[in-house]
Formats: sequence, C-alpha cells, structure tokens
Amino acid sequence: MNSSEPITGTPQPLLRVKSVGKSFGGIQALCNVTFEVAPETIHAVIGPNGAGKTTLFNVITGAYEPEDGQIVYENREIQGKKVHEVVAQGIARTFQNVELFGSMTVLENVLVGRHVRMHCGFLGAIGRWPRVRNEEREARDYAWELLEFVGLEKMAHHRSADLPFGWQRFLEIARALATQPRLLLLDEPASGLNAVETQQLGDLLLQIRSRGITLLLVEHDMDLTMGISDRIVVLHQGRRLAEGTPREIQCNDAVICAYLGSDEDMRGLS
Amino acid sequence: MSKMKHGFFLLTIVIAGMAMSNSYHLQLLTFIGINTLLALGLNMLMGYAGQISLGHAAFYGLGAYTSAVLSATMNWSPWLALFAAIVLTTLVAFLVALPMLKLSGYYLGMGTLGFGMIVFILIRQWSTVTGGDSGLVGIPALSLGPLSLASGKAYFYLVWAVVLMCFVICERVVDSRVGRALRAIHDGEHVAAAMGIDTSRLKVGVFVLSAVFAALAGFLYAHLVSFISPNSFDFLVSVRIVTMVVIGGMASIWGSLLGASLLTLLPEWLHVFTDYEMVVYGLILMTIMIFLPQGLTRGLLDLYEQSRTIYRRPATSQEPTANR
Ligand SMILES: Nc1ncnc2c1ncn2[C@@H]1O[C@H](COP(=O)(O)OP(=O)(O)OP(=O)(O)O)[C@@H](O)[C@H]1O
Ligand SMILES: [Mg+2]
Repeated sequence: MNSSEPITGTPQPLLRVKSVGKSFGGIQALCNVTFEVAPETIHAVIGPNGAGKTTLFNVITGAYEPEDGQIVYENREIQGKKVHEVVAQGIARTFQNVELFGSMTVLENVLVGRHVRMHCGFLGAIGRWPRVRNEEREARDYAWELLEFVGLEKMAHHRSADLPFGWQRFLEIARALATQPRLLLLDEPASGLNAVETQQLGDLLLQIRSRGITLLLVEHDMDLTMGISDRIVVLHQGRRLAEGTPREIQCNDAVICAYLGSDEDMRGLS
Repeated sequence: MSKMKHGFFLLTIVIAGMAMSNSYHLQLLTFIGINTLLALGLNMLMGYAGQISLGHAAFYGLGAYTSAVLSATMNWSPWLALFAAIVLTTLVAFLVALPMLKLSGYYLGMGTLGFGMIVFILIRQWSTVTGGDSGLVGIPALSLGPLSLASGKAYFYLVWAVVLMCFVICERVVDSRVGRALRAIHDGEHVAAAMGIDTSRLKVGVFVLSAVFAALAGFLYAHLVSFISPNSFDFLVSVRIVTMVVIGGMASIWGSLLGASLLTLLPEWLHVFTDYEMVVYGLILMTIMIFLPQGLTRGLLDLYEQSRTIYRRPATSQEPTANR
C-alpha cells in the first residue's frame, strides 16, 4: 500500500505532485514528495505538526516555488507560475488561520472570489456600460447562491470580521468556491469548529465533491478525515510516509509510529 | 440614494455660487475644490489600496507645468494641453509605479518621496522651459467655445463640476470589481493574490488613476492663477495632500472634501500658521493617528453612534460558536 503508481482503472489524475522539494534555510520542509490526485475525489493530506502540509499547499498554489520537482495540473506544469495565474487555472484554497477581508462584508468577500472570472477594469468601472452591469449582476447572483449553499445568506451584509469564527470558515470556503475551481485546497477547515459545525462541514465537503470539484484536504480531525476521504497521503518531516485508502492508513504501522512519536491527537487512528 | 446625494451636492454648489459675491471667498472655495481633487486621488491610492505616496505634488506639478508650457509658451489650446498633460502623467505614473509598487511600507514612502524631489528639482533647473525659480507667467484663462471661464464665478462652477465628476468616478470605481480588489489588497495582499487578484497590476492602475487626478488639479490650478512657480509643488505640498486624506479619513470619498476644506481654510484663518505649516501638519497627523485613526469623518460618526448606543439597551449579540 506504500505504492506510488496510480490505481489502475482511474481516469487521468487532475493533479500530480512529482518529487517536490522545498527548504527554508536549513529546514527541509518538503523532500521528494510524490502523489497524484484523481478527479472528483476527496484526497486528504495528514501528518503531525510541522510535517510540511501547509508548505505543500503553498507550493501547489504558487506562493512558493519548489526547488525540485514539478506540479502538474491538468497535464500542465504550473510550478513557478504566479499565485493569481494558478487561481485562474482553477485551483482555489482556504487558509489554516482564516484569512478573510475583514473590513468587507460577507457578500463582498465572496464577490472578491468572483474577481478572477470577471473582466471589468478601471474604465469599465467608471463607464458602467451594459456589459459591466450584466457581469456585476451575474457575479452577485453567483455569490448569493454560494452564500445559500454554505448557509450564510442571512449574514450577507455583515462585516466578515464580525462573524463567529466557525462561520468565517464556511465563508472562506464560499469565497474559494466563487473562483470556480476544479481543485479546492482546504487547510484544516475543521480546526476551531464545534462538533455540530464539523458535522456540517463534512456534509458540505461531500456536496462540493458531488459538484465535480476535487478536494485536497489537510485536516487533523481524524474522524472527519477518515469518514469522507477517498484517499490519504501521510507526510512526516517533509517526506511522504504512506499513501492509501483510509482503511489502509489506519492500520499502517509506520503511520501509527509517526503519530505516537509526536504528541498528536490519535483519535480515529487506531 | 447616491443620486440624491449627488443632487444635493449639485444644489449646494449652485446655491453657494449664486450666494457668493465676494471674489476672495469664491476663490477660496475654488481652491478647496482643487485640493479636494488632490485628496480624492490620493485617497484612492492610500485609503482604498493602502499604498502611500509622499510625492504626489510631482503629478500636481506635472499637470500644471505641462499644460502651462504648452498653452503659454507654445500657444496650444488649453484643452489640448490638458489632454497632453493627462497622457504624459499617465505615462510617467505608469513608469514610476512599475518598480515602485514592488516596494511597500517605508520603502514605498521613501521611493515616492525621492520621485517628488526629482520632479521638483527638474522643474527648478530646467529654466529654459519652466522658467525655473522665477516661475511661468501668462498662462491663458480657459474658455468653453464662446463661453469665457475667466471670471471667478465661472471658474468656481468649472472646478466644482469637475469635483462632482470625480466623486462619481471614485464612487463607481470603489463599488466595482476593481474597487473590491483594491480593498482586498488593503486587507491582505497575499490573500488577495490567492483569490486570483493580479495585485501588482491593480496597484499600478490605481497609482495612475490618482496621478491623473493630481494632474487634473494641476491643470485647473495653473489656469486659475495664470502664474506658477516651483514652490507650489514642493515636498510640503505632498505632505499637505497626505494630511488632507488622513484628516478626512482613509477610504472615505466625502472625507476628502472635509480634509481639503480644513487644510485650505486653516492657513487663511490663522496667519501664524504659514510660518509653522510643517509643524502644524505634523501635529495634526500625530493627533489624528493617535486619537482618531479612522480620520475625522469616521471618528466623529463613531463617537456619535457610541453616544447613541450608550442610552440603548445592549443588543443581544450572537456569541461565537467556537473559540479560536
Ligand atoms: N515561511 C517559512 N519560513 C521558514 N520556515 C518555514 C516556513 N514555512 C514553514 N516553515 C517550516 O517548514 C516546516 C513545515 O511547516 P508547515 O507549516 O508546512 O507544517 P504543517 O504540516 O502545515 O504543520 P501544522 O500542522 O502545524 O500546520 C516547519 O518546520 C516550519 O517551521
Ligand atoms: Mg499547516
């Protein structure tokens, strides 16, 4: 089950991470990490604190350029591209520490997510010709739909910073969805959520997958991760430790060992 | 809502124009209008996009001198000269912004400061064209076809019509895809990029927009006073524009009007002020930053709302469902 070859019979992978390496000074945050993400699946990335999960996300989204290896998305190499170009290609993300535009309303936050699918520039904004107005109206409709989808439509006109923390996480997902991604990267979306909200989150993620969006999920909540993931890759000290189905990962000795070695929460792992 | 506001604004201008007979007062109001344009432009850059410029007087000067040289020395029509001034400013702002907006914080401040000084020195030293320290005289008055705008009243209407137009422009920009992106950059640049915003491109765009506003103000100033000299575009002027924005409130379009009014009227009312202008601006900036960081407009509004809510029952607020 430590296999690196793709599962036979599955379609072309949407994302291929090929022997990616990234270091910060002396710290090797990622080292020769390789795995593939099949389309329309939920693919989890787990590992103890400092394993390199967030760094992996930053490399995929173009925030960092990897020193080695390639990121292949839809058969195109995307490493070294600018962050906003990667979004335009269809990869969106959320952040480990919720990062909303705090001075803007809930609706406006989602509209910012819509930015990349709109065209209006300075002249269009000043002229407000029909094309610009139509585009704006469509964007608003789209944003409202997403707010309803995550259940925040009643809060649309509140400042995003004023939302309860759990709702901010849902808003961040709505904002990322507004970019119309094919691949959505979620960095610990359940952290800080209570049990009910975590349950809602799980349902939401399954619904997102059924909309044809592929999810790459970093998560410490093992009940959630094991419950909804199709496949899991385990990182440990920047290296890929294991990969497989949730069931395979749960009884992988190396994984259990790695988690025992750290003071991580072992819930659901045994 | 905004239509009503503009209607009210227009009405105020017309009434002020009709009621005002004293030409000194009219000119003062005209200057307020010109300064409002300057503040408005810088507010788009500082208040909305969160980028500082300590060299905005350079674009003000660029607009004034381009139009003045072309119309006074080379006998161009002032309107053609205005067009040339805007094109030139756009070009210069674009070239300056490209490397400059890679900087941020202090460095951006220093960079724009340096740019302002270079332009100031150019204006002073290139005396064959600009007249150097002795200034440039004989800048023609404006006219619209047969309609002369030479009188104080006509010019007052012209300037304030331009101000109203620029208000509308700013409101439209703020309430658009571009404006949201600018505010997003202000709130968090790397998050904005992660949402697909080409941050450097937008920052260049808003820098150019604010420079063009300043050039427009320079044009109006030059043809109003008919004589310009380098001192009207020195570092102090850049600081004054920043102060107007800070007083009026960052990201407040109408605040620009308040900031510009105060900083135009204060030196007129307090003549001691002129000797210590720099000191007073410094004090104002410090006081506002410490006590009313949102600016006077927002600060006063907040105070008003606080005083109201004190007497009301505290609303039952939603408790966060989870802790951080
Ligand atoms: N910008 C950075 N500069 C220097 N070191 C960094 C940087 N980002 C990450 N690191 C280091 O790289 C390693 C991996 O960090 P990363 O944030 O990717 O871990 P993680 O798996 O997301 O951990 P967590 O579960 O705590 O979020 C850590 O040792 C971290 O200190
Ligand atoms: Mg992390």
